[in-house]
Amino acid sequence: MLKFTLRAGVAATALFGAGAALADVTVYTAGPAKLIEDLAAGFTAETGVAVEVFQATTGKVMARIEAEAANPVVDVLISASWDTATDFAERGWLVPYTSPNAEMVPDFLKTETAVAQGVSALAIAWNPNSGTPKPTDWADLAKPEYKDLVNLPDPAQSGSAFELVAALSGTEGMGLFDDLAANGAIVAGANAEALNPVLQGAKAAVFGAVDYISMAGAAKGETIEVIFPESGTVIAPRPVMILNWSQNQDEAKQFVDYILSDAGQAMVAKTFLMPARSDIAADRPLIADLNILPVDAEAVYAKRAETLDAFATTFAK
Amino acid sequence: MARAREGVSPSVIIAAAGLVLVVAVPFLFIILQAIFPELGRGSLAAPFSALAGALGDPKLIGMTGNTLLLGVLVVALSALIAVPLAVARALFKVPGAVIWDVLFLIPFMIPPYIAVLGWIMTLQPRGYLEQLVGFNLATFLFSVPGIVFVMTLNSFPVVYFAVSRTLETVGSRYADVGRVFGASPARAFWRITLPLSTPGLAASLLLVFAMAIEEYGTPAALGGRAGFEVLVTAIDLRVSDWPIDLPGAAILSLVLVVLSFGAFVLQRWILTRRSYEATTGKPQDSAKRDLGVWKLPVVAGFALVAFVATGLPLLAILASALSRTISGGLVWSNLGFSNFSAILGDSTGALKALGTSLSLGVAAALVTGLLGALSAYAVVKSKVRGRGVLDVLTILPNALPGIVVAVGLILAWNQPWLPVTPYNTSLILLLAYCCILLPQPVRYATAAFHQIGDNLEAAARVFGASPMVAFRRILLPLIAPSLLAAMLLVFAVATRELVASVVVAPVGVSTISTYIWRQFEQGSVGLGMAMAFVTILITTALPLIALSLMGRRGNLL
Repeated sequence: MLKFTLRAGVAATALFGAGAALADVTVYTAGPAKLIEDLAAGFTAETGVAVEVFQATTGKVMARIEAEAANPVVDVLISASWDTATDFAERGWLVPYTSPNAEMVPDFLKTETAVAQGVSALAIAWNPNSGTPKPTDWADLAKPEYKDLVNLPDPAQSGSAFELVAALSGTEGMGLFDDLAANGAIVAGANAEALNPVLQGAKAAVFGAVDYISMAGAAKGETIEVIFPESGTVIAPRPVMILNWSQNQDEAKQFVDYILSDAGQAMVAKTFLMPARSDIAADRPLIADLNILPVDAEAVYAKRAETLDAFATTFAK
Repeated sequence: MARAREGVSPSVIIAAAGLVLVVAVPFLFIILQAIFPELGRGSLAAPFSALAGALGDPKLIGMTGNTLLLGVLVVALSALIAVPLAVARALFKVPGAVIWDVLFLIPFMIPPYIAVLGWIMTLQPRGYLEQLVGFNLATFLFSVPGIVFVMTLNSFPVVYFAVSRTLETVGSRYADVGRVFGASPARAFWRITLPLSTPGLAASLLLVFAMAIEEYGTPAALGGRAGFEVLVTAIDLRVSDWPIDLPGAAILSLVLVVLSFGAFVLQRWILTRRSYEATTGKPQDSAKRDLGVWKLPVVAGFALVAFVATGLPLLAILASALSRTISGGLVWSNLGFSNFSAILGDSTGALKALGTSLSLGVAAALVTGLLGALSAYAVVKSKVRGRGVLDVLTILPNALPGIVVAVGLILAWNQPWLPVTPYNTSLILLLAYCCILLPQPVRYATAAFHQIGDNLEAAARVFGASPMVAFRRILLPLIAPSLLAAMLLVFAVATRELVASVVVAPVGVSTISTYIWRQFEQGSVGLGMAMAFVTILITTALPLIALSLMGRRGNLL
């Protein structure tokens, strides 16, 4: 048995040695996994610079950065929440950089230290086989036809869901959410967990689904329709940032350039995200086609704990 | 003093060094993080400042109560299901015994997050159950009894295997002596056989309790709607919600550790009250009794449990894996092998993830097996001072949520002054798995050592064997059945561990679980389920093949 252990140990060491190679650019990113794989492969093919990727949800990526703070390794960070860019900039962790390819990115999708990779919007994801009428606006989902058939992603676990709750409650208070709760709508975990029951038909619709995931599902043949409510919705730009502790800032900047290149933005469009550049075509409604609710990020995030509390109280009844 | 001069056995030194590396280092950093909120930035400023906030949370008492309730209910239901089955399996000739063993092993191979998703897709409105027979059990599933039910199905095998193996070692010899002196069969069982198997029962129940209070997937998926918050879900929220609250998470984890430590003290108290030695070197008659008229009901019981715990989840996983789309449901036109061919075609990195996880699983099983045997020996059989500390170290990680172990490992191994570090290599995953899973082999081996008489080792020493030789030639073979069973469980769990892997995985490395999780996150449930199904097949088949190659008798597993 000891011999066996030794042999396994040798084999294991060989295996682990391979993973230890130093990367040229280390990217931490929120999903989708396929997008970052394509971007990394395309970038390496064009520049010869290797890209090492850590991909998880925004929350888990942040946990890792926080735990690594004494000896950080990440060069480029792509978050699914614009709030990250604001917060990191305030902490002075970001390198100011404006990519030459960012010219066609609208001003509200870039700052001195961050630029959007792509943009998602929140929508109603509705199952046409659910036997319910097609909803056209948020308030429809509080009607009796949708009793017990609506899921909401948890705003405590999803940054974009929080912004939607903040935007909708900011103008009219929690009234809409009271109606939803009274109509049997439930809060069902993060985005993916809210969508799955709608696909199977246990629920009819997600209130505030991330649009590109549902669109990708529909493209694969799932019976799911993405509806952008008439009264407006919120968007979630996905900021790309270069960290100031990066030892590879030149390569990091090259990578940001690549994300914003024609090829990079085409990859973004392929995942059904809206490209950050306004001159790139995509097979889906773009920002100009959507009615976007105003969100005063600073004011909204200052009241985050309060809003989440009010929301939780509404749905705990 | 005489002891000190005699010197400490090398096995004890290896055990102590291994435990320090695998358990004490990350745990120390979790404690430091709880005390020094700025530890992650390399600063020791403002000690204890986070304590009041985390412990003053008004929801803390409710969450702790829920956690305890969940642990106790899962332990009770696991014992209720597993003990009768284990008794039948150990003392009687159950038809198809080996097959039942394999079937009861599978629930352990099904990752909890997969099992719970399988149950949701089966029992929710318009789920598989409703599609097939027209009704659903959603109200039951999304409730506290539902959570306990799903978690018990995942954990009862721990009790089943531990108790059946211990009872087999005890055998019917002692009960026969009781019978000779006039005890009825029932009395002999309750007063002699069952008490003698207490080590296995107590050890496995402790494991189940610790697993239940530490488990994240099931309470998170089912408890949210029931308004049932436990400590682990609160810890996870602190770790993933910006701004990240690492000190708060560390402090709440220490509350979990205290709970688990309480259970551990209780178990130790039970084990040290008397001797459970049943292996004395005398030849043992391992013949089992016939079940007689009970044959049919017993087999029916085994079949029912196997169907609910293994059959239903596997069928649900298979159904999702074979479905082209989830919304298409269970109709022939919607079924096909496209998800499986995507995995085998490896267009998605699936095979690489499989390879990584399987090698890590084997390595973790070997390391924890060796370290577990040595630690258990040091605790039970040696007279080293401080062996109580070693015992505590072996139980600590059991109560630590995977995500907190991951954070502790990053804090410990990502220090800038370290000349070499396993961090950002696959070795860090191995360390994480070993830390999380070490309690399994230790508990199993400790229970086995409690049953071995001291005179066996003494006899070997009298005949000139060194301590290491006596350990290797006498003690290790005697605990081998229990230890191998535990190593098997380590292999199974390590190959599909999710919560720590997600955070600690080196850049560019996918494991089976992070692969599956990414598919779910992106809405590709079918692809994730296909990968899960392949994994369950491999993690069940590999150990069985390995064991039969090693020439074990069929009754080991």
